[in-house]
Amino acid sequence: MDLKVDSLKCTGCRICEFACNYHQDETISSIGSSLMFYFEEKKNYYGMMVKRAKTLYLGRPEGEQLLKPGEQIEGAGASAKPILLRVACDCCADEDDGPLCVRACPYGVLSLEG
Amino acid sequence: MELMNNYKETILIVDLDAKQCDTESLSEDMVAAGLGGAGITTALYEQYKDRDPLIIGTGFFTGTFMPGGCAGVVSAKSPVTGKLCHVPFGGYAAVELKLTGFDFVVVLGSSDSPVRLWLHDGLSDLDDAADIWGKDVWDSVDKIREAYGDEMIQLLVIGPAAEAQSKASQFSVNYWGSFDKSALGAVFGAKKLKAIALRGLDSLDVAEGFFGACVDLKNAICAGAISGKYGLKDIAKDIGIDAGAIEKLASMTHRNNAAYNCPYAAAAFVKYNEAPTAVDMKGHPAPGCLITDIQGFAALHGAGLDAGQAMEQCFRQGIEPEAAAKAGKTDGVSADAGKAGAFSTAVPVSIFGSGQGDAGWQKRQALAAVLGIDPMLMVMAPEITEAKIVELVQMSAEWDDFSAEELDRIASAVIAKSA
Repeated sequence: MDLKVDSLKCTGCRICEFACNYHQDETISSIGSSLMFYFEEKKNYYGMMVKRAKTLYLGRPEGEQLLKPGEQIEGAGASAKPILLRVACDCCADEDDGPLCVRACPYGVLSLEG
Repeated sequence: MELMNNYKETILIVDLDAKQCDTESLSEDMVAAGLGGAGITTALYEQYKDRDPLIIGTGFFTGTFMPGGCAGVVSAKSPVTGKLCHVPFGGYAAVELKLTGFDFVVVLGSSDSPVRLWLHDGLSDLDDAADIWGKDVWDSVDKIREAYGDEMIQLLVIGPAAEAQSKASQFSVNYWGSFDKSALGAVFGAKKLKAIALRGLDSLDVAEGFFGACVDLKNAICAGAISGKYGLKDIAKDIGIDAGAIEKLASMTHRNNAAYNCPYAAAAFVKYNEAPTAVDMKGHPAPGCLITDIQGFAALHGAGLDAGQAMEQCFRQGIEPEAAAKAGKTDGVSADAGKAGAFSTAVPVSIFGSGQGDAGWQKRQALAAVLGIDPMLMVMAPEITEAKIVELVQMSAEWDDFSAEELDRIASAVIAKSA
Protein backbone atom coordinates (compact mmCIF):
# COMPACT_ATOMS: atom_id res chain seq x y z
CA MET A 1 0.00 0.00 0.00
CA ASP A 2 1.16 3.52 -0.80
CA LEU A 3 -0.17 6.97 -0.11
CA LYS A 4 -1.49 8.81 -3.17
CA VAL A 5 -2.07 12.56 -3.58
CA ASP A 6 -4.76 14.17 -5.75
CA SER A 7 -2.95 17.49 -5.91
CA LEU A 8 -5.60 19.59 -7.63
CA LYS A 9 -8.00 18.90 -4.74
CA CYS A 10 -5.42 20.23 -2.27
CA THR A 11 -6.00 23.69 -0.77
CA GLY A 12 -2.67 23.89 1.06
CA CYS A 13 -4.08 23.66 4.60
CA ARG A 14 -1.15 21.42 5.56
CA ILE A 15 -2.96 19.51 8.31
CA CYS A 16 -1.75 16.26 6.70
CA GLU A 17 1.86 17.13 7.54
CA PHE A 18 1.01 17.76 11.17
CA ALA A 19 -1.15 14.63 11.41
CA CYS A 20 1.74 12.57 10.05
CA ASN A 21 4.13 14.10 12.56
CA TYR A 22 1.66 13.16 15.32
CA HIS A 23 1.77 9.57 14.08
CA GLN A 24 5.57 9.61 14.02
CA ASP A 25 6.32 11.16 17.43
CA GLU A 26 3.00 12.08 19.11
CA THR A 27 3.56 15.83 18.87
CA ILE A 28 2.24 18.64 16.70
CA SER A 29 4.93 19.88 14.35
CA SER A 30 5.79 19.40 10.71
CA ILE A 31 9.46 18.60 10.86
CA GLY A 32 9.15 14.87 11.51
CA SER A 33 6.48 14.23 8.89
CA SER A 34 6.85 11.82 5.97
CA LEU A 35 4.79 14.31 3.97
CA MET A 36 6.07 17.70 3.00
CA PHE A 37 4.18 20.61 1.54
CA TYR A 38 6.08 22.18 -1.34
CA PHE A 39 5.14 25.82 -1.93
CA GLU A 40 6.23 28.60 -4.26
CA GLU A 41 4.10 31.28 -2.70
CA LYS A 42 4.24 34.07 -5.26
CA LYS A 43 3.23 31.62 -8.02
CA ASN A 44 0.72 29.84 -5.77
CA TYR A 45 2.36 26.64 -6.97
CA TYR A 46 2.00 23.86 -4.45
CA GLY A 47 1.91 20.12 -4.05
CA MET A 48 2.83 17.35 -1.63
CA MET A 49 5.91 15.17 -1.44
CA VAL A 50 5.78 11.80 0.29
CA LYS A 51 8.90 10.04 1.46
CA ARG A 52 8.45 6.37 0.59
CA ALA A 53 10.84 3.58 1.55
CA LYS A 54 12.81 3.63 -1.70
CA THR A 55 11.42 6.56 -3.65
CA LEU A 56 10.16 10.09 -3.29
CA TYR A 57 6.57 10.47 -4.52
CA LEU A 58 5.51 13.88 -5.82
CA GLY A 59 1.85 14.85 -6.03
CA ARG A 60 2.14 17.92 -8.26
CA PRO A 61 -0.52 19.98 -10.01
CA GLU A 62 0.88 18.75 -13.32
CA GLY A 63 0.55 15.12 -12.23
CA GLU A 64 2.29 12.45 -10.18
CA GLN A 65 5.97 11.60 -10.34
CA LEU A 66 8.34 9.18 -8.63
CA LEU A 67 11.94 10.14 -8.01
CA LYS A 68 14.77 7.82 -7.09
CA PRO A 69 17.43 8.84 -4.53
CA GLY A 70 19.62 11.57 -6.00
CA GLU A 71 17.16 12.68 -8.66
CA GLN A 72 15.93 16.27 -8.58
CA ILE A 73 13.16 18.25 -10.20
CA GLU A 74 14.32 21.00 -12.51
CA GLY A 75 13.41 24.39 -11.08
CA ALA A 76 12.60 23.15 -7.58
CA GLY A 77 13.63 25.46 -4.75
CA ALA A 78 15.60 24.70 -1.60
CA SER A 79 12.49 23.63 0.31
CA ALA A 80 12.34 20.44 -1.80
CA LYS A 81 15.45 18.95 -0.23
CA PRO A 82 14.96 18.35 3.53
CA ILE A 83 12.39 15.55 3.04
CA LEU A 84 15.17 13.17 2.02
CA LEU A 85 16.17 13.06 5.69
CA ARG A 86 12.67 12.16 6.89
CA VAL A 87 11.24 8.83 8.06
CA ALA A 88 9.46 6.94 5.25
CA CYS A 89 5.67 6.76 5.21
CA ASP A 90 4.40 3.48 6.73
CA CYS A 91 0.76 4.24 5.82
CA CYS A 92 0.05 4.28 9.58
CA ALA A 93 0.03 0.47 9.56
CA ASP A 94 -0.59 0.37 13.31
CA GLU A 95 -3.61 2.71 13.25
CA ASP A 96 -6.97 0.91 13.39
CA ASP A 97 -8.84 3.69 11.58
CA GLY A 98 -6.36 4.22 8.75
CA PRO A 99 -3.70 6.83 8.05
CA LEU A 100 -3.99 9.95 10.19
CA CYS A 101 -3.30 12.24 7.21
CA VAL A 102 -6.22 10.73 5.27
CA ARG A 103 -8.51 11.14 8.28
CA ALA A 104 -7.41 14.72 8.94
CA CYS A 105 -7.67 16.05 5.37
CA PRO A 106 -10.97 17.92 4.84
CA TYR A 107 -10.69 17.82 1.05
CA GLY A 108 -10.25 14.15 0.12
CA VAL A 109 -6.78 14.78 -1.26
CA LEU A 110 -5.11 11.66 0.14
CA SER A 111 -5.87 7.99 -0.32
CA LEU A 112 -4.19 4.58 -0.18
CA GLU A 113 -3.53 2.61 -3.35
CA GLY A 114 -2.18 -0.82 -4.08
CA MET B 1 -4.53 22.53 33.92
CA GLU B 2 -1.80 21.34 31.55
CA LEU B 3 -0.44 24.14 29.30
CA MET B 4 2.05 22.23 27.18
CA ASN B 5 -0.60 20.91 24.78
CA ASN B 6 -1.56 24.47 23.84
CA TYR B 7 1.27 26.83 24.68
CA LYS B 8 5.05 27.11 24.83
CA GLU B 9 4.54 29.15 28.05
CA THR B 10 6.67 32.11 26.96
CA ILE B 11 5.92 35.80 26.38
CA LEU B 12 8.49 37.89 24.52
CA ILE B 13 8.85 41.51 25.62
CA VAL B 14 10.50 43.71 22.99
CA ASP B 15 11.60 47.10 24.28
CA LEU B 16 12.24 49.20 21.18
CA ASP B 17 13.40 52.22 23.21
CA ALA B 18 16.26 50.16 24.64
CA LYS B 19 16.45 47.79 21.62
CA GLN B 20 16.30 44.84 23.97
CA CYS B 21 14.35 41.59 24.11
CA ASP B 22 13.38 39.74 27.28
CA THR B 23 11.02 36.93 28.19
CA GLU B 24 8.36 36.33 30.82
CA SER B 25 6.51 33.13 31.62
CA LEU B 26 2.97 32.62 30.44
CA SER B 27 1.49 31.50 33.73
CA GLU B 28 -1.44 29.23 34.49
CA ASP B 29 -3.09 32.21 36.21
CA MET B 30 -2.95 34.24 32.97
CA VAL B 31 -4.50 31.40 30.99
CA ALA B 32 -7.14 30.84 33.66
CA ALA B 33 -8.05 34.52 33.49
CA GLY B 34 -7.98 35.03 29.71
CA LEU B 35 -7.64 31.57 28.11
CA GLY B 36 -5.61 32.79 25.12
CA GLY B 37 -5.38 35.14 22.15
CA ALA B 38 -7.27 38.37 22.71
CA GLY B 39 -8.15 37.29 26.26
CA ILE B 40 -4.45 37.54 27.12
CA THR B 41 -3.44 40.35 24.73
CA THR B 42 -6.10 42.49 26.44
CA ALA B 43 -4.53 41.81 29.85
CA LEU B 44 -1.05 42.55 28.48
CA TYR B 45 -2.36 45.75 26.86
CA GLU B 46 -3.66 46.95 30.21
CA GLN B 47 -0.42 45.98 31.95
CA TYR B 48 1.74 47.95 29.49
CA LYS B 49 -0.76 50.63 28.42
CA ASP B 50 1.53 53.56 29.19
CA ARG B 51 4.12 52.32 26.64
CA ASP B 52 1.83 52.18 23.59
CA PRO B 53 1.97 48.39 23.27
CA LEU B 54 1.59 46.45 20.04
CA ILE B 55 0.81 42.87 20.99
CA ILE B 56 0.86 39.83 18.77
CA GLY B 57 -0.75 36.75 20.23
CA THR B 58 -1.58 33.16 19.44
CA GLY B 59 -4.90 31.67 20.41
CA PHE B 60 -5.51 28.76 22.76
CA PHE B 61 -6.01 26.39 19.80
CA THR B 62 -3.61 28.03 17.32
CA GLY B 63 -1.46 25.37 15.68
CA THR B 64 -3.40 22.45 17.17
CA PHE B 65 -5.73 19.91 15.55
CA MET B 66 -8.76 22.12 16.35
CA PRO B 67 -10.43 22.74 12.96
CA GLY B 68 -9.65 26.27 11.82
CA GLY B 69 -6.89 26.64 14.43
CA CYS B 70 -4.83 28.89 12.17
CA ALA B 71 -5.34 32.32 13.64
CA GLY B 72 -3.42 34.78 15.71
CA VAL B 73 -4.35 38.29 16.75
CA VAL B 74 -2.68 41.67 16.60
CA SER B 75 -3.97 43.89 19.39
CA ALA B 76 -3.26 47.60 19.75
CA LYS B 77 -4.93 50.99 20.00
CA SER B 78 -6.22 51.82 16.54
CA PRO B 79 -5.01 55.17 15.16
CA VAL B 80 -8.47 55.43 13.57
CA THR B 81 -10.74 54.75 16.55
CA GLY B 82 -8.37 55.50 19.44
CA LYS B 83 -9.53 52.26 21.04
CA LEU B 84 -8.10 48.79 21.58
CA CYS B 85 -8.88 46.54 18.63
CA HIS B 86 -8.02 42.99 17.64
CA VAL B 87 -7.09 42.13 14.05
CA PRO B 88 -6.88 38.44 13.14
CA PHE B 89 -4.09 37.03 11.01
CA GLY B 90 -4.01 33.59 9.48
CA GLY B 91 -2.45 31.57 6.72
CA TYR B 92 0.44 29.81 8.48
CA ALA B 93 1.88 32.85 10.28
CA ALA B 94 0.25 32.36 13.67
CA VAL B 95 1.11 28.65 13.73
CA GLU B 96 4.66 29.57 12.83
CA LEU B 97 4.74 32.12 15.69
CA LYS B 98 3.67 29.57 18.28
CA LEU B 99 6.23 27.07 17.01
CA THR B 100 9.02 29.65 17.32
CA GLY B 101 8.59 29.12 21.04
CA PHE B 102 6.85 32.44 21.75
CA ASP B 103 3.11 32.49 22.48
CA PHE B 104 2.82 36.27 22.75
CA VAL B 105 4.99 39.18 21.64
CA VAL B 106 4.66 42.54 23.38
CA VAL B 107 6.33 45.40 21.49
CA LEU B 108 6.88 48.49 23.64
CA GLY B 109 8.03 52.01 22.83
CA SER B 110 9.53 52.97 19.50
CA SER B 111 12.87 52.58 17.79
CA ASP B 112 14.97 55.53 16.62
CA SER B 113 15.87 53.59 13.46
CA PRO B 114 14.09 50.96 11.34
CA VAL B 115 14.21 47.45 12.79
CA ARG B 116 12.85 44.00 12.06
CA LEU B 117 12.21 41.26 14.60
CA TRP B 118 13.36 37.74 13.67
CA LEU B 119 11.90 34.96 15.79
CA HIS B 120 13.17 31.42 15.32
CA ASP B 121 14.12 28.36 17.38
CA GLY B 122 13.28 30.07 20.68
CA LEU B 123 15.51 33.02 19.77
CA SER B 124 14.64 36.66 19.18
CA ASP B 125 16.86 38.92 17.09
CA LEU B 126 16.14 42.62 16.71
CA ASP B 127 17.91 43.44 13.45
CA ASP B 128 18.51 46.62 11.53
CA ALA B 129 15.99 47.19 8.72
CA ALA B 130 17.44 50.27 7.02
CA ASP B 131 17.94 48.16 3.87
CA ILE B 132 14.20 47.55 3.45
CA TRP B 133 12.68 50.70 4.99
CA GLY B 134 10.91 52.47 2.12
CA LYS B 135 10.62 49.30 0.06
CA ASP B 136 7.24 47.86 -0.82
CA VAL B 137 5.81 44.78 0.88
CA TRP B 138 6.66 42.35 -1.91
CA ASP B 139 10.29 43.44 -2.12
CA SER B 140 10.55 43.37 1.66
CA VAL B 141 9.21 39.80 1.93
CA ASP B 142 11.65 38.62 -0.73
CA LYS B 143 14.62 40.38 0.86
CA ILE B 144 13.87 39.15 4.39
CA ARG B 145 13.45 35.53 3.24
CA GLU B 146 16.67 35.79 1.29
CA ALA B 147 18.53 37.38 4.22
CA TYR B 148 17.45 34.66 6.67
CA GLY B 149 17.75 31.89 4.07
CA ASP B 150 14.34 30.25 4.24
CA GLU B 151 11.46 30.46 1.75
CA MET B 152 8.94 29.30 4.37
CA ILE B 153 9.48 32.25 6.73
CA GLN B 154 6.14 33.86 7.58
CA LEU B 155 5.91 37.61 7.98
CA LEU B 156 3.89 40.42 9.43
CA VAL B 157 5.24 43.32 7.41
CA ILE B 158 4.38 46.88 6.42
CA GLY B 159 4.79 48.91 3.24
CA PRO B 160 5.39 52.59 2.59
CA ALA B 161 1.82 53.58 3.56
CA ALA B 162 2.22 52.29 7.11
CA GLU B 163 5.76 53.65 7.37
CA ALA B 164 4.15 57.07 6.77
CA GLN B 165 1.58 56.19 9.48
CA SER B 166 -1.33 56.56 7.09
CA LYS B 167 -4.77 55.80 8.46
CA ALA B 168 -5.42 54.06 5.14
CA SER B 169 -2.62 51.56 5.78
CA GLN B 170 -2.67 47.99 6.97
CA PHE B 171 -0.09 45.43 8.02
CA SER B 172 0.41 42.56 5.62
CA VAL B 173 0.73 38.81 6.13
CA ASN B 174 3.47 37.88 3.65
CA TYR B 175 2.60 39.40 0.25
CA TRP B 176 -1.17 39.41 0.57
CA GLY B 177 -2.46 42.16 2.85
CA SER B 178 -4.62 41.30 5.83
CA PHE B 179 -7.96 41.84 7.54
CA ASP B 180 -6.55 45.03 9.13
CA LYS B 181 -9.23 47.69 8.66
CA SER B 182 -8.06 49.59 11.77
CA ALA B 183 -4.68 50.85 10.52
CA LEU B 184 -2.63 48.76 12.96
CA GLY B 185 0.00 48.83 10.23
CA ALA B 186 0.50 52.47 11.17
CA VAL B 187 1.31 51.36 14.74
CA PHE B 188 4.14 49.23 13.30
CA GLY B 189 5.21 52.33 11.32
CA ALA B 190 5.20 54.62 14.36
CA LYS B 191 7.48 52.15 16.11
CA LYS B 192 9.74 51.88 13.04
CA LEU B 193 9.08 48.15 13.14
CA LYS B 194 9.21 47.08 9.50
CA ALA B 195 8.51 43.39 9.98
CA ILE B 196 8.22 40.43 12.28
CA ALA B 197 9.72 37.35 10.63
CA LEU B 198 8.73 33.93 11.92
CA ARG B 199 10.06 30.42 11.47
CA GLY B 200 9.01 27.82 14.02
CA LEU B 201 10.37 24.31 14.20
CA ASP B 202 9.23 23.55 17.76
CA SER B 203 6.32 21.28 18.67
CA LEU B 204 3.29 21.00 20.94
CA ASP B 205 2.17 17.96 22.89
CA VAL B 206 -1.27 16.50 22.26
CA ALA B 207 -3.78 15.30 24.85
CA GLU B 208 -5.09 11.74 24.65
CA GLY B 209 -8.15 11.59 22.40
CA PHE B 210 -7.81 15.16 21.13
CA PHE B 211 -6.87 14.22 17.55
CA GLY B 212 -9.90 11.96 17.12
CA ALA B 213 -12.26 14.51 18.68
CA CYS B 214 -11.00 17.18 16.28
CA VAL B 215 -11.39 14.87 13.26
CA ASP B 216 -14.99 14.22 14.34
CA LEU B 217 -15.64 17.97 14.59
CA LYS B 218 -14.00 18.57 11.20
CA ASN B 219 -16.27 15.92 9.65
CA ALA B 220 -19.33 17.53 11.25
CA ILE B 221 -18.29 20.95 9.87
CA CYS B 222 -17.76 19.54 6.37
CA ALA B 223 -21.19 17.89 6.47
CA GLY B 224 -22.84 21.03 7.87
CA ALA B 225 -23.52 24.56 6.64
CA ILE B 226 -20.50 24.62 4.31
CA SER B 227 -21.43 21.37 2.59
CA GLY B 228 -21.66 21.85 -1.19
CA LYS B 229 -19.99 25.27 -1.02
CA TYR B 230 -16.50 25.95 -2.27
CA GLY B 231 -14.09 28.83 -2.44
CA LEU B 232 -14.30 32.58 -2.09
CA LYS B 233 -16.77 32.84 -4.98
CA ASP B 234 -19.50 31.01 -3.05
CA ILE B 235 -18.94 33.28 -0.04
CA ALA B 236 -19.15 36.31 -2.34
CA LYS B 237 -22.45 35.09 -3.79
CA ASP B 238 -23.88 34.41 -0.36
CA ILE B 239 -23.08 37.80 1.14
CA GLY B 240 -24.51 39.74 -1.80
CA ILE B 241 -21.35 40.92 -3.53
CA ASP B 242 -22.03 42.67 -6.86
CA ALA B 243 -22.48 40.17 -9.71
CA GLY B 244 -19.88 41.92 -11.87
CA ALA B 245 -17.25 41.60 -9.13
CA ILE B 246 -18.09 37.91 -8.67
CA GLU B 247 -17.79 37.32 -12.40
CA LYS B 248 -14.42 39.10 -12.41
CA LEU B 249 -13.22 37.01 -9.45
CA ALA B 250 -14.44 33.76 -10.99
CA SER B 251 -12.86 34.49 -14.36
CA MET B 252 -9.42 34.99 -12.78
CA THR B 253 -9.44 32.35 -10.03
CA HIS B 254 -6.60 29.89 -10.28
CA ARG B 255 -7.05 27.86 -7.07
CA ASN B 256 -8.82 28.34 -3.75
CA ASN B 257 -6.49 28.13 -0.77
CA ALA B 258 -7.16 27.31 2.86
CA ALA B 259 -5.31 28.56 5.90
CA TYR B 260 -3.73 26.01 8.25
CA ASN B 261 -6.20 23.25 9.16
CA CYS B 262 -9.21 25.10 7.75
CA PRO B 263 -11.98 22.93 6.32
CA TYR B 264 -13.13 25.74 4.04
CA ALA B 265 -10.86 27.27 1.37
CA ALA B 266 -11.80 30.93 1.76
CA ALA B 267 -8.96 32.53 -0.21
CA ALA B 268 -8.80 32.78 -4.00
CA PHE B 269 -5.55 33.10 -5.89
CA VAL B 270 -6.32 35.15 -8.99
CA LYS B 271 -4.08 35.26 -12.05
CA TYR B 272 -3.95 38.18 -14.46
CA ASN B 273 -0.39 37.88 -15.79
CA GLU B 274 -0.94 34.39 -17.19
CA ALA B 275 -3.92 32.09 -17.83
CA PRO B 276 -5.70 31.19 -14.56
CA THR B 277 -5.73 27.56 -15.73
CA ALA B 278 -1.91 27.39 -15.89
CA VAL B 279 -0.56 25.00 -13.25
CA ASP B 280 3.01 24.69 -14.43
CA MET B 281 5.89 25.41 -12.07
CA LYS B 282 7.77 27.35 -14.75
CA GLY B 283 5.16 30.01 -15.45
CA HIS B 284 5.21 33.77 -14.78
CA PRO B 285 7.24 34.56 -11.62
CA ALA B 286 4.40 36.68 -10.18
CA PRO B 287 1.22 35.67 -12.01
CA GLY B 288 -1.30 37.28 -9.66
CA CYS B 289 -2.30 37.64 -6.03
CA LEU B 290 -4.18 35.97 -3.19
CA ILE B 291 -7.56 37.48 -2.30
CA THR B 292 -8.93 37.00 1.20
CA ASP B 293 -10.78 40.31 1.62
CA ILE B 294 -13.66 39.89 -0.82
CA GLN B 295 -15.21 43.20 0.26
CA GLY B 296 -11.98 45.01 -0.64
CA PHE B 297 -11.86 43.28 -4.02
CA ALA B 298 -15.52 44.16 -4.73
CA ALA B 299 -15.02 47.76 -3.63
CA LEU B 300 -12.08 48.21 -6.03
CA HIS B 301 -14.14 46.65 -8.83
CA GLY B 302 -17.02 48.98 -7.96
CA ALA B 303 -14.65 51.97 -8.11
CA GLY B 304 -13.96 51.13 -11.74
CA LEU B 305 -10.46 49.76 -11.15
CA ASP B 306 -9.09 46.46 -12.45
CA ALA B 307 -9.66 44.69 -9.15
CA GLY B 308 -6.92 42.05 -9.41
CA GLN B 309 -4.17 44.48 -10.36
CA ALA B 310 -5.49 47.09 -7.91
CA MET B 311 -5.34 44.56 -5.08
CA GLU B 312 -1.70 43.89 -5.98
CA GLN B 313 -0.93 47.61 -5.83
CA CYS B 314 -2.65 47.87 -2.43
CA PHE B 315 -0.71 44.85 -1.16
CA ARG B 316 2.59 46.26 -2.40
CA GLN B 317 2.04 49.68 -0.81
CA GLY B 318 0.34 48.26 2.30
CA ILE B 319 -2.92 50.12 1.71
CA GLU B 320 -6.28 48.87 2.96
CA PRO B 321 -8.24 48.08 -0.26
CA GLU B 322 -11.56 49.64 0.76
CA ALA B 323 -9.74 52.89 1.57
CA ALA B 324 -8.19 52.81 -1.91
CA ALA B 325 -11.60 52.14 -3.46
CA LYS B 326 -13.07 55.09 -1.57
CA ALA B 327 -10.27 57.30 -2.92
CA GLY B 328 -10.64 55.78 -6.39
CA LYS B 329 -6.87 55.15 -6.65
CA THR B 330 -4.10 52.98 -5.24
CA ASP B 331 -1.45 55.62 -4.59
CA GLY B 332 -1.45 58.66 -2.34
CA VAL B 333 -4.39 57.32 -0.30
CA SER B 334 -4.58 58.96 3.13
CA ALA B 335 -8.13 58.55 4.48
CA ASP B 336 -9.48 55.32 5.96
CA ALA B 337 -12.65 53.70 4.67
CA GLY B 338 -14.58 54.09 7.92
CA LYS B 339 -14.57 50.33 8.52
CA ALA B 340 -12.46 50.21 11.71
CA GLY B 341 -13.86 48.37 14.70
CA ALA B 342 -12.98 46.24 17.71
CA PHE B 343 -12.89 43.21 15.38
CA SER B 344 -12.23 43.09 11.65
CA THR B 345 -15.15 44.11 9.47
CA ALA B 346 -13.56 42.09 6.66
CA VAL B 347 -15.49 39.19 8.22
CA PRO B 348 -19.15 39.15 7.12
CA VAL B 349 -21.89 39.08 9.76
CA SER B 350 -23.50 36.04 8.16
CA ILE B 351 -22.22 33.38 5.73
CA PHE B 352 -24.27 30.46 4.39
CA GLY B 353 -27.18 31.30 6.68
CA SER B 354 -25.09 30.83 9.79
CA GLY B 355 -25.04 34.38 11.14
CA GLN B 356 -26.40 35.33 14.56
CA GLY B 357 -26.90 39.08 14.07
CA ASP B 358 -24.50 41.84 15.06
CA ALA B 359 -24.23 40.86 18.74
CA GLY B 360 -23.80 37.19 17.81
CA TRP B 361 -21.14 38.13 15.25
CA GLN B 362 -19.25 40.13 17.87
CA LYS B 363 -19.24 37.24 20.30
CA ARG B 364 -18.14 34.75 17.62
CA GLN B 365 -15.33 37.13 16.63
CA ALA B 366 -14.26 37.53 20.27
CA LEU B 367 -14.20 33.74 20.65
CA ALA B 368 -12.23 33.36 17.41
CA ALA B 369 -9.70 35.93 18.66
CA VAL B 370 -9.36 34.18 22.04
CA LEU B 371 -9.20 30.63 20.70
CA GLY B 372 -7.15 31.24 17.52
CA ILE B 373 -9.85 29.89 15.22
CA ASP B 374 -10.28 31.33 11.73
CA PRO B 375 -12.76 34.23 12.10
CA MET B 376 -14.57 33.39 8.84
CA LEU B 377 -14.98 29.76 9.89
CA MET B 378 -16.44 30.89 13.22
CA VAL B 379 -19.23 32.61 11.29
CA MET B 380 -19.86 29.87 8.72
CA ALA B 381 -19.54 26.80 10.97
CA PRO B 382 -22.25 26.72 13.67
CA GLU B 383 -21.04 23.18 14.40
CA ILE B 384 -18.31 24.83 16.49
CA THR B 385 -20.71 25.28 19.40
CA GLU B 386 -19.73 26.80 22.71
CA ALA B 387 -20.38 23.43 24.34
CA LYS B 388 -17.94 21.80 21.88
CA ILE B 389 -15.36 24.51 22.57
CA VAL B 390 -15.64 23.92 26.32
CA GLU B 391 -15.33 20.14 25.82
CA LEU B 392 -12.18 20.56 23.70
CA VAL B 393 -10.59 23.08 26.08
CA GLN B 394 -11.20 20.64 28.94
CA MET B 395 -9.73 17.77 26.96
CA SER B 396 -6.74 19.60 25.51
CA ALA B 397 -5.59 21.24 28.72
CA GLU B 398 -6.81 18.51 31.07
CA TRP B 399 -8.82 21.28 32.71
CA ASP B 400 -11.98 19.61 34.01
CA ASP B 401 -13.51 22.61 35.72
CA PHE B 402 -13.36 24.93 32.69
CA SER B 403 -16.98 25.89 32.05
CA ALA B 404 -19.32 27.58 29.58
CA GLU B 405 -19.69 30.39 32.12
CA GLU B 406 -15.93 30.97 32.08
CA LEU B 407 -15.88 31.01 28.27
CA ASP B 408 -18.70 33.53 28.25
CA ARG B 409 -16.97 35.69 30.87
CA ILE B 410 -13.74 35.76 28.86
CA ALA B 411 -15.46 36.66 25.56
CA SER B 412 -17.57 39.34 27.27
CA ALA B 413 -14.48 40.90 28.88
CA VAL B 414 -12.67 41.09 25.52
CA ILE B 415 -15.69 42.81 23.96
CA ALA B 416 -16.17 45.22 26.89
CA LYS B 417 -12.52 46.28 27.04
CA SER B 418 -12.25 46.98 23.30
CA ALA B 419 -15.52 48.91 23.03
